[in-house]
Amino acid sequence: MADKDASPAVLQWFKKSKLWKSIFRHDFSDTPRTRLQRVFGNVFLHLHPVRTPKDALKVTYTWGMGGLSFYVFLLLVVTGILLMFYYRPTTIHAFQDMKDLAYAVTLGGFLRNMHRWAAHLMVVVVILHMVRVFLTGAYKPPREYNWAVGVILLVLTLFLSYTGYLLPWDQLALWAVTVGAQMAANTPVIGNEGPFRLPFVTTSNDARFGLIGGTMVGDSTLIRFYVLHCVAVPFLFCVFLCVHLWRVRKDGFSKQTGEKVDVWPHLVSREFLAALLVTIILFVWSMALPAPLEGIANLNVTPNPSKAPWYFLGLQELLVYFDPWIAGVALPGLIVAGLMAIPYVDTNPKGIGVYPAMGWKRIGPLRLWHPTERPFAVTVFMLGVVLWFALIFIGYYCRGPNWEWYMPGELWSHRRVTKLTLKNLPNFWGALLMLCYFLEGTPMPKAIKARLAAARGPNAPARISAAFHMGLGVVMAIALLLPLTTAPDAEYPLRSRYTTLFEALGHAPNAPFMSWLYRTVEALGPALGTGLVVACILALGGALGFLGLKFATFKDRMYDELGPVKYSLVMGLFLMMMGVLGKLALRLLFGMKYLITFPALSFNI
Amino acid sequence: MGAAVSGQTVWGQLEERFGRRQFLLKTGWAFFYLFLGGWLLSNLRYLFPNVLYEPTLSFKAGHPDEFPLGISEKWKKAQRVWVVRTAGGFYCFWARCTHLGCTPNWFEAEGRFKCPCHGSNFNKDGDVIAGPAPKPLWRCSVQLANDGQLVIDKARLENRPKLREQGDFFLPYQA
Repeated sequence: MADKDASPAVLQWFKKSKLWKSIFRHDFSDTPRTRLQRVFGNVFLHLHPVRTPKDALKVTYTWGMGGLSFYVFLLLVVTGILLMFYYRPTTIHAFQDMKDLAYAVTLGGFLRNMHRWAAHLMVVVVILHMVRVFLTGAYKPPREYNWAVGVILLVLTLFLSYTGYLLPWDQLALWAVTVGAQMAANTPVIGNEGPFRLPFVTTSNDARFGLIGGTMVGDSTLIRFYVLHCVAVPFLFCVFLCVHLWRVRKDGFSKQTGEKVDVWPHLVSREFLAALLVTIILFVWSMALPAPLEGIANLNVTPNPSKAPWYFLGLQELLVYFDPWIAGVALPGLIVAGLMAIPYVDTNPKGIGVYPAMGWKRIGPLRLWHPTERPFAVTVFMLGVVLWFALIFIGYYCRGPNWEWYMPGELWSHRRVTKLTLKNLPNFWGALLMLCYFLEGTPMPKAIKARLAAARGPNAPARISAAFHMGLGVVMAIALLLPLTTAPDAEYPLRSRYTTLFEALGHAPNAPFMSWLYRTVEALGPALGTGLVVACILALGGALGFLGLKFATFKDRMYDELGPVKYSLVMGLFLMMMGVLGKLALRLLFGMKYLITFPALSFNI
Repeated sequence: MGAAVSGQTVWGQLEERFGRRQFLLKTGWAFFYLFLGGWLLSNLRYLFPNVLYEPTLSFKAGHPDEFPLGISEKWKKAQRVWVVRTAGGFYCFWARCTHLGCTPNWFEAEGRFKCPCHGSNFNKDGDVIAGPAPKPLWRCSVQLANDGQLVIDKARLENRPKLREQGDFFLPYQA
């Protein structure tokens, strides 16, 4: 029974008026009936179901990350609209307006700080949301499509950040966009500097030109990014957000073990609390820490070092190791496509609605904490996430002036002498290395195993598999070390007829393995030195082959479960991810620049 | 006979697929999608402006005698170029990294250009010696104007060995 209304008489009279009743169709007493009415009688709350499984309330399951992404987005829309009142997207006004917002407009600085920090927070929250959904298997049928939509929303979140940070027209803005736009110019086929460029593509009609609206970043770029940031991308974002939220309703919550409870008040109150908490955090953050604003954009001078915001630093670091069309276009495209493909290639029905169980496993002397359920999926996904953040860490803490390597905490010096040199592997050897690397992913299907066992005896499949993997490992080691020690330095044919890559890299401190080998070989003399190189090849080859062999049975089982198409997709993406790690090692230990290079086609790997 | 029969079945299939019954309807839809696709593509073309309001890429850099031997940073902040004077004459680098377009810095003591964005290094000839840049630095055309000043044109670029050391890209000059 509803309590007697204790509100003032005027309010009680007002609540009986026609005006009040035209707006609110139900009373607000706490009865089962009004609990439902509050949700479906309210356009803003009716995104919710009226009742939800109790599991959906548990904070330690969802961490509220999906809802908070939405809330932070709303916060960004509100602060963004307010900022638009004082901002003019032209090169002569933009930076001045930023200064005005920071120092002359009442609360302008606070709103700008909040917009900036909320944007950073949104990236964090969206990534954590994705990790949570992955770990609890919430992308598995029937939610595959919604996972793909979620990946699109992640990409749009990053694109919103990217288009947003040109607007202050400071140095960070200009150079981030210069670099980003130049990546568009490296797009294959339609980019002016990309591989396989069409004959009619020039700087004044390629992908970069379309993105920045001219041949250089300027007024036309600013208005373009302004429209993208304030209207076009938020519009697209809302469209996908509608689909995403609607599908959350239609597909149901991923964990449904217990009873259902009323959304009002149980879920709504928790959402309110979470939103309040985030608001408080952002308030304190925005009052304590002003959003960075560098000097006014100068098209001729680049800050040294020039660092992107943290969420793009991984990409910036990746660009150091690869040709721009790979690191800037192909790899990001593959990462997005790979993420979207996850629910379609992961046929394991287990693990929906629970965090993966973890256990200890002993591998040789190592005790490994690893997932006992969905071990491959969870390990590979988390490895990808950790790799990405490792790249961000390197970019943030280990890069100093001229983008050179400094240890975290080491003092930067703009005058430090560089002895950095890099060399390409000759095309034949580079191609051989890559081919053998990807061949390591070859499985041995059951049918072939059976045929081999029938023809050559029961041990034949195992022996052939061992020979195959070890052979590939040794060929890879030869393809790497042989040309490095003997191939003449093709890039500097005039310097010396007898200069080899080995000598060139042996003196380079950024090729620590090669310089160690060079010094040792010099000390040992030719006979022992050659022996050492051969030993290195055997050791490296053996290690690589052994790694491949370790996964042989696993690969075969996976192939038999997934079939050829899904298997090649999973293995291809996995090998490419590990290949990035391999290229990092080649660059940092062996001073290697490209494996395959055709300068005339702008095609380098 | 056999050919006629198979011909008829092919015709029959065609008739079924594109025959009178559905012909007008399907043609209508085809034109609808053609129109829609064409309209979308035309909007893509709309995003590529025909007239640009960008500064001219050519400028007068002063008299040759104003430049000492070596790499001059005189015009870097204003025009983003390095004017290089050798014993034989002049050439000019566009101060734009061939990797992703940042402005490298010149380190006289080491004889290197180093880029602050991704760590590309170039030597005095503009060739890449380290870092991810795929191509040598671009050289701009350098000529002598009638009033005796150097004219540098950043719209005309060359970075291929040999070609970049002749023609418009190298100005022979003896003091």
